[in-house]
Amino acid sequence: MTEDQFRREYAHHLIKQVNKGQMTRRQLLVRASVFGFSLTAAGSLVAACGGGSTSNSPAASASAGGNPAPKSGGTLRISAPVSITNLDPVTTYDDGGGCQIMQVAEYLTWVEDDMTLRPVLAESWSSDTSAKVWTFKLRQGVTFNDGSPFGAEDVVTTYDRLVDPKSGSSALSVFAGLLSPGGTVKVDDSTVAFHLDRAFADFPYLVSSSVYNTIILPRNYSGNFVKTPVGTGPFMLKEYVPKERATYVRNPNYWQKGFPYLDGLEFKLFSDPSAAALQLQGGAVDMEMATEFQGVKALQADPKLKILEIKTAAPEVLKMRCDEAPFADMKVRQAVAYCLDRPAVIKTLFDGKSTLGNDTVFSTLFPNAPQIPQRVQDYEKAKQLLADAGHADGLSVTLTTHPETIIPQYGNLIAAMCEPAGIKVKIDQVPYSDYYSGKGMDQVWLRVPFAITEWSPRPTAAQLVSAMLRTGGVWNETHFANREHDRLADEYDATVDEAKRLEIATKLATIENDETPMVIAFFASHLRGMVTDLYDVRGGGGMFLDLSKAYLA
Amino acid sequence: MARLILRRLLLMVPTLFLVSLLIFTLSEILPGDVGRTILGPYATPAQVQALNTELGVDKPIVERYVAWLGHFVTGNWGTSPITDLEVWPQVMGALGNSLLLAALALVIIVPTAIALGVFAGLRKDSLIDRGITISTLSLTVIPEFVSGVILIVIFAVTLKWLPVTALAPPGSNIFTRLYYLILPAIPLMFIELGYIARMARVGTVQVLAMPYIRTAVLKGLPRRRVIFGHVLRNAMVPTVTVIGGQMGWLIGGLVVVETLFGYPGIGKLMIDAATTHDVVMLEAAVLVVAVLYMLSNLLADVVVAVLSPRVRLGG
Repeated sequence: MTEDQFRREYAHHLIKQVNKGQMTRRQLLVRASVFGFSLTAAGSLVAACGGGSTSNSPAASASAGGNPAPKSGGTLRISAPVSITNLDPVTTYDDGGGCQIMQVAEYLTWVEDDMTLRPVLAESWSSDTSAKVWTFKLRQGVTFNDGSPFGAEDVVTTYDRLVDPKSGSSALSVFAGLLSPGGTVKVDDSTVAFHLDRAFADFPYLVSSSVYNTIILPRNYSGNFVKTPVGTGPFMLKEYVPKERATYVRNPNYWQKGFPYLDGLEFKLFSDPSAAALQLQGGAVDMEMATEFQGVKALQADPKLKILEIKTAAPEVLKMRCDEAPFADMKVRQAVAYCLDRPAVIKTLFDGKSTLGNDTVFSTLFPNAPQIPQRVQDYEKAKQLLADAGHADGLSVTLTTHPETIIPQYGNLIAAMCEPAGIKVKIDQVPYSDYYSGKGMDQVWLRVPFAITEWSPRPTAAQLVSAMLRTGGVWNETHFANREHDRLADEYDATVDEAKRLEIATKLATIENDETPMVIAFFASHLRGMVTDLYDVRGGGGMFLDLSKAYLA
Repeated sequence: MARLILRRLLLMVPTLFLVSLLIFTLSEILPGDVGRTILGPYATPAQVQALNTELGVDKPIVERYVAWLGHFVTGNWGTSPITDLEVWPQVMGALGNSLLLAALALVIIVPTAIALGVFAGLRKDSLIDRGITISTLSLTVIPEFVSGVILIVIFAVTLKWLPVTALAPPGSNIFTRLYYLILPAIPLMFIELGYIARMARVGTVQVLAMPYIRTAVLKGLPRRRVIFGHVLRNAMVPTVTVIGGQMGWLIGGLVVVETLFGYPGIGKLMIDAATTHDVVMLEAAVLVVAVLYMLSNLLADVVVAVLSPRVRLGG
């Protein structure tokens, strides 16, 4: 069937599901956006659903809600983390690097704070019924900040460069087995088709801001971003002093007319989060890109500052190796899971500002997330499970932690909460660089039996499943090997029907919750401290930074 | 005198050689590798291996050391594979920043500390002496991170008397730059105050007990001449030695203050290089600091020799 026919059929299908009560209107909006319906088109689908009130599209309501009118002008000063390596869009892997490059260049799509997709350099997109060929219609009339026009060739060269094994890009892990060199094809000057190696229903999320290496660079990119910072974004890089500061000015030829409101940006880079927080308190900066929770209390007390909470589906994983004693026994893993008082953990670590987790990567924050019974603390069950596993008189284990955000404190909480069940936890804190050092599966975080790993947010659960739980996966820190889970994951990626997806997702989540290769007690929210008269800073469901619509009132 | 200086300068060469060897070996033992640091935790092991081979970091350590040494002594300090920055301008720039901060701290604190120490020594065991000793000692033991944060909160955040950044806007003149450095210099001054004042006091007390001081007083010399002519000069001997020793810390050890204030000094450069396995940057920075440390000790010894004929003549 033709694309148009497919879209119409799909639209009917979505409406039917809402009317049958199998999907909420909000879920329809999300699924529609994934399949390339513009917001207005999706909105009309919602309106076409019978009964109930029409809902506002979540993204459009961002500007509503009593904020003062946007004002043009001003330079925004930001304290941000240092980028460990040089600023290179292809290989940069930390938030410090990511938030810089996305001021100058843009993506095909952007993930909004509620996990819907907003078209940026792509205007619309659709797939064939197999979800293996994705066609993106590119925005017309966009130029790079050096005057050259943006077109399909730029997209093709960008993606071929990324998926080339020699590029050393972190994006390789996202596209492995999915997109190969040559898979990105120019259909015409304003259309690009991605021919995937396997079906992936959530592909538009992968060409979005959440995979920040997919930033679109000009076809003749020199290879040195700091020397030639060419992109289509709202700002232009004026000066970059590594580990010190970065200065940006407004791009006068930005394709979104009337934006950005800000005249320019000034980043001050800090390797110490307390130093960055002090800058905000002292009035030397207007925004702290990444506010650590410990610093938040001081900022909350200041009437000139406010805290933006960005909910993310970033799992904090308490991993247990499933192929080695004592955690090879599922009962022992479940026992650990039953020891934790999850709401208390969230209250202690984040003062309640985080999302509850249920030992599955399918966070309730994801659109169309499965609902399975929430696990709660139960020492009776924990002790019984341990006894059944042959550890009636207790168990001694070593928990590996490293100093990153709240991991050391979380480790202490785990140790304290496991104690009453007879599990003696000894904490072994290693330096941050040690934790990720080593070769291949010998890396410390992949090797140790019991550890806490903080994962970056992904906008889709499918990505977390691929990255963490596939048998033999390069980042499968729990060494989880469940063929049924693998099979269901493949099916999930290839399935387009929402109701079927929910069914499969529920099965996957149930297996994860049951087998408990990892305890996920919470999904940490991302906090951003700023002055009260700064508005419309977008975080994209993670630590991303979209300042194209931000303004100082 | 000239022979003393020449001998010390010659001794610096083998010392620097040993230091460079030590840093190289220690970097080997540090876990983590260059390829992984550059590509991050999400790169595949194959990619990391490829990069390591490309950078030549999997060659035997002796081969790498000799190659590095050859480049270094011929003035080719190279480029960091991790940050893509040239080593020489980075190290020299960072050094300049640290020296400025250290100079500000020293210029203010050395005369103050000496004055306090001598004052205390002259009034030994009095209430003033006890007061000065206790307060300077208390300030010395406060860690720079603690005093730095407290100072920022009081003077920059609450009272807004001083800027919270240490870096003046680019293109500022020297006075503006020094103004921005006042706050970061204070924790350093606190720490140095204790050491220098204490040494000055000890030196003063020792000298005052000498028979020739009693002679000078009995001779009828005015008190001022006794103090400035004899006491001060001789009390300086241990004091200058201590200052010379502290120079090393003041140049290369300001990591905490530099990190807290986001100031790109050489201490911060060294710790960043060490944690990211940036061996070329680390070696260059450490050796520069080592040279300065040895030179400042040499200078201190020369000053002492000038002040004290006994040392000069080897008696």
